[in-house]
Amino acid sequence: MKRVLEIVWVVLVILTIFAYLLGYLKYISSFFVTILLITTFIKGQLVIDYFMGLKDVKLKYRLIPTIWLSVVLSLIAVAYYLPTTVAE
Amino acid sequence: MSKAVSIKEPYPPGDFAIWIIIYVEFITFALLFLGYAFSRRLDVELFNGSQEILSQTSGFINTFILITSSYFVVKAVQNMKTMTQENYKEFNIKASKWLLLALACGMSFLVIKITEFSHIFGLGINLSTNTFFMFYLLLTVFHFMHVLLGSVILFNIYQKTKVHGYTPDDHKGFETGASYWHMVDLLWIVLFPLVYIIR
Repeated sequence: MKRVLEIVWVVLVILTIFAYLLGYLKYISSFFVTILLITTFIKGQLVIDYFMGLKDVKLKYRLIPTIWLSVVLSLIAVAYYLPTTVAE
Repeated sequence: MSKAVSIKEPYPPGDFAIWIIIYVEFITFALLFLGYAFSRRLDVELFNGSQEILSQTSGFINTFILITSSYFVVKAVQNMKTMTQENYKEFNIKASKWLLLALACGMSFLVIKITEFSHIFGLGINLSTNTFFMFYLLLTVFHFMHVLLGSVILFNIYQKTKVHGYTPDDHKGFETGASYWHMVDLLWIVLFPLVYIIR
């Protein structure tokens, strides 16, 4: 497929517009935060694979940023979903 | 029946030293992202209220700009990877045009960010205003400095392409700078929803 980079760019733009619309229309419920974090992961992975070019590199080097992204986004989700306590 | 086997590169593109720097940046920004996310839990109202002052539109435009600049950079890298001894001068010039577009994006990002900072500082907000703005300024100013450095790197690469400085055998420096720029993009991709959208 010759136009892979163009397709990746279009997907990144669409997901960014989606994130912006969620914020703009104030549709930020717990469900949409999950969707937002998943789309952020997809965007990050596209950058890692196709822009950084790690798709064509040995797996361990591809996994480092992927694991980083997964851990960061998962912990952001934990911080968001854990019940909050009122600070005295 | 033959089966296509894709041969993976043994190392990531560019000089390996830049990847050490990238990994360190990942750790640094991860701490800041998580510091923000867990501090928010202590005072959700304060974070949501403070976030209203930010312009989601400028955050969105800046995300679009960085994604597009990364696309321009990877197009330039493609030229480097496909050039031969016969056409390397032509491909250097092609790459320089993509880099110029990427640089224009980098400059636009910086201008929008400076406008946003002027607005924020004009309201009398600083690092000690509250926890939200402490993290907001730490994250965005730190990221701003990375975009600034990335732009300087891209400009240097651009100048070298103008004099046909990269050859099929020697374009590692080009890929090193490109990798740094993509890291800057990746960090913003996480920063944008975290700071501007999630509430």
